[in-house]
Amino acid sequence: MTRPSVRSDSGAVETWRLIESWDAAPEFNMGLDEALLDDPGAPPTLRLYTWSPDTLSLGYFQKWADVPGTENAGAVVRRITGGGAIHHTRELTFSIVLPQDHPLFRGPIPLSYGRIHEALIAALSGFGVEASLAGQASLLSDREKTGMCFHESTPLDVAWGERKGVGSAQRRRGGRVLHHGSIKLGSTPLEGDIATLEGYLPGENPIGAFAPALLREIETNFAVHLERSEPTNSERSAAQHLGERYASPSFLRRR
Amino acid sequence: MRPDDRHYLPSHEWVKTDGDTVVFGITDFAVEELSHGNEDDLVYCDLPEPGRKLTQGETFGEIESVKAVADLNSPVAGEVVEINKTIEDHLQVLAKDPWDKGWLIRVKPDNTSMSHLLDAEGYEASVGEADE
Repeated sequence: MTRPSVRSDSGAVETWRLIESWDAAPEFNMGLDEALLDDPGAPPTLRLYTWSPDTLSLGYFQKWADVPGTENAGAVVRRITGGGAIHHTRELTFSIVLPQDHPLFRGPIPLSYGRIHEALIAALSGFGVEASLAGQASLLSDREKTGMCFHESTPLDVAWGERKGVGSAQRRRGGRVLHHGSIKLGSTPLEGDIATLEGYLPGENPIGAFAPALLREIETNFAVHLERSEPTNSERSAAQHLGERYASPSFLRRR
Repeated sequence: MRPDDRHYLPSHEWVKTDGDTVVFGITDFAVEELSHGNEDDLVYCDLPEPGRKLTQGETFGEIESVKAVADLNSPVAGEVVEINKTIEDHLQVLAKDPWDKGWLIRVKPDNTSMSHLLDAEGYEASVGEADE
């Protein structure tokens, strides 16, 4: 199978920003992603982040009442990306924000998932994880009425052990795309019987082991060079401003 | 060639004059981007209530496929007078027929000018660039 080209139109290696936000507040995480999505001048950006406190995020269109986990989750936000709810604990989250006409996101949305998931599968294989796209068969992790992303699968999802292992969702607006991804490092209270990296990574610092491999595969697969960076002051300010609504009762219970 | 009886936004919405109102929809290209040929992949569409005033370019609704949420942008300014209730519950109609039965909303426009929009030929060109 020929891997779809995601090189820039000029064929040159692109430089993307890499912003890492460890143990960041849920409002900041969501606010910064939205700030990057809405700024047409923002450079191509990959974020890796974790959450503090542990947070349940609802998909943009989900009904509050359809996610029973909201009762026991502690912190809750609503994302602007679609899909099901995710419990952000024991997890590495990533986001990619690019123009919609970038080769990575060009064409049908499912193809863009395929491009990103190929890079993830390659990174996972380095740790002995035999991951692949789920295909048409249902998964052992599929569950009804939990509202959780990892309990619903589509053929393009990444799975191993016949269970879903990566949560993914996108938001497209203003000619730009925000892609969210979630990789579980271990089991979580609200996402029983899913695929995780427990046992594949060193227990003490699993993110320290996996993140460099993921970054290498992204650089290789997407023909990009990643440069570590921090959000600009204006991006921090926008993130703070935009972040306020994510946990607000009116936004959380909009549906 | 897409229908030449309407105008287009580069973001894949169309607008068609119908008497003293106009009708908004999204193109086959948008449907294909969202669903890639699987009509069941469109899962939710949020449309405005009749009576809402729209400005040109404003987001008037949102559509969700299995894997993405996308904004719906208003090609012209005006007041929403009707929404296509059928597609709110049956998005397969939009997936199968985005040009006719899958229309989204009917609007009483503030004016009839569409000179800021693409005609079918211009839209074809913009889609062609996106396909390259």
